[in-house]
Amino acid sequence: MTTMSEAAAFEQIKPSDLPSPPQTALQILRACSSDVVTSTELSALAEKDPVLTAELLRVVNTAFFGLSRTVQSLNHAVTILGQRSLRNIVLCISVRDAIDNHAIPGFDSTEYWEDSLRRAVSSKLLAERINSRSEDCFTAGLLQDFGLLVLFYVKPETAHYWQELRGLDPDTRYEKEQQYFGTTHTEVIQMLAEAWDLPQELSTVLGAHHNCESCEPCKTQSETHTLCEILYCADWMSTIFNADDKPKLLEQTRQLLGNKFDLASEGISECLNTLSEEVESAASSLGLRINKQPNFEEIMLQANVKLAEANLSYQELTWKLEQTLRERDDLAAELDRELELAREIQESLLPKNLTDDFPVTGINVSARQLSGDFYDYFQLKDGRIYFNLADVSGKGVNAALLMAKTSSLFHCLGKHIHEPDKLLSHINNELCETAIRGMFVTMIAGIYDPKSGLVKMVNAGNPPALLLTRDGKAQAIDATASPLGILPNTPFPLAKDITLTNNCLYLFSDGATEGVLDGKEMLGLKGVLQLIISHRDKAPRERLQAIVQQFQTASNKLHDDITMVLIEGPKLNTSC
Amino acid sequence: MECDARTEGDFTVISLQGEVDLHFSPRAREIILKHLQQKQHVLVDLSAVDYIDSSGVASLVEGFQHARTNTLKFALVGVSDAAMQILQLSRLDKVFPIFVGIDDAATQL
Repeated sequence: MTTMSEAAAFEQIKPSDLPSPPQTALQILRACSSDVVTSTELSALAEKDPVLTAELLRVVNTAFFGLSRTVQSLNHAVTILGQRSLRNIVLCISVRDAIDNHAIPGFDSTEYWEDSLRRAVSSKLLAERINSRSEDCFTAGLLQDFGLLVLFYVKPETAHYWQELRGLDPDTRYEKEQQYFGTTHTEVIQMLAEAWDLPQELSTVLGAHHNCESCEPCKTQSETHTLCEILYCADWMSTIFNADDKPKLLEQTRQLLGNKFDLASEGISECLNTLSEEVESAASSLGLRINKQPNFEEIMLQANVKLAEANLSYQELTWKLEQTLRERDDLAAELDRELELAREIQESLLPKNLTDDFPVTGINVSARQLSGDFYDYFQLKDGRIYFNLADVSGKGVNAALLMAKTSSLFHCLGKHIHEPDKLLSHINNELCETAIRGMFVTMIAGIYDPKSGLVKMVNAGNPPALLLTRDGKAQAIDATASPLGILPNTPFPLAKDITLTNNCLYLFSDGATEGVLDGKEMLGLKGVLQLIISHRDKAPRERLQAIVQQFQTASNKLHDDITMVLIEGPKLNTSC
Repeated sequence: MECDARTEGDFTVISLQGEVDLHFSPRAREIILKHLQQKQHVLVDLSAVDYIDSSGVASLVEGFQHARTNTLKFALVGVSDAAMQILQLSRLDKVFPIFVGIDDAATQL
């Protein structure tokens, strides 16, 4: 990151900080910029710096400039090439030599010149396409980012920004320069253009090629405007070769050239395909050492391979995600199967339907796959019937497991302990031994003797049972003890004897009393009683089914397990 | 449900508020057990409880059992009508020590 002091340092660049070409070169530039240069003037300058003259003639005679005859003197060059072309070549040589290749420690000037030549050749190729001044464009292209090299020259410790900057598109690069250096290459090159006394038009386009829209001369001088646009577009063309995201930059450049110069995609491709060869030729002519240039197709091939790799990685991620989702679905299906098996086992713990005239019937509907409620009844050898209804605290697998344990204890111990209060004491002590997470069981358990019609029953923390008489009266039998599994060695006193002759007894879990119908309040004991009465004409099993179904309509969603048990007393001709 | 804990004399008073149901009772359980495991005597204030289901009651039962095993004091205070109805219905009012207020609990426990 650039500090403010670094940025401030660049704002204070003085002309004396700038690199300077040989005096003779400057003089030739000035002479060529004048209206007419005399042969005497050029001969005098050539004699003054024979080394520069020799280099100038070498460059002029290279294949890149494509002269049909060998030029042997500056005078001859002016005659053959014209003043303007000679000036361009002098300028190119001056720029090339202005900063020594080793002047910036750790900086790879080869890369810089490769990029610069690419901009120069791109400018030339674009100019040729639209019949503009290709030689001027080449020179301007070679100079357009020279300001950046000058920035590194003035402040060598900032040269590390080079690699980041050359991978960015021209607009972003320009913004980053401002951020990192507090100035831009266009401001620096304008200062240099003044110091080197470059022609006004060249100075203008070098300074304005990133801000052509706000350049005043560009608004009135169409050629200057065109040059400015060419330099800007050439920057984009050149950057395709070293951008981090080449396919994206290619697409942006195609759009830009289409908009600015109405260039078709094929024309742009032709330019890009010839670029590398021309860059090598220009480098050879100017005596600049650069690496062998990859052609455009190779560059795009590599970019597309990278893109394909990125897409492949994305595809792999997608595959992995799909695989993970499949595994999740498989696990969910496996869990469903396990729960279904558990549900089957739970159902097997409930009593099978006995004959229609058996006085006890029950129903259990679970809000989830597994239930924490259960009921049971079975006949003892003496004809009496043991029954119970229970509800484990909480819901889910843990409640279901405790349900299985409690149900098994009841069924097994009940065959040997024929007194409900003692039976529940035993079960309670068993549950307390393995108490976990405060889980407890509410239970109504009793023995019904069909011969006498008497019921001996304990209500351990369950909602009251309801005794309905034939004449329509109801009596609640409240809990006589706390739930099972909380305190060991607790008494489970029997409720008062209940006579079932001509009566029936309803047991139900809190899923019924806390049930809600049609969005109203919880039913409570009175609501359950009304529900029972409304279905009293149905046969016992159908009656329980009808009651429970009312909690499962479209407008009523089951929130808790509901379990009901009905015991009908003897000599009963009508339902109650 | 919301719950917070504060110290009142020798007790940590945990106040449960709103609906203590299957969704929120794990949080109630966690906070009750946390203080009991730190060997603190715990009073659970149920004065602002609108509804408590069997899973919520189980959280209280677990606290009660844990305190009993570790000879710590545990009681319910200021039990709201809604919560008291559930406790009475299941006769759990005969299991838990229940007091009108904190001072009452502090002097009698």
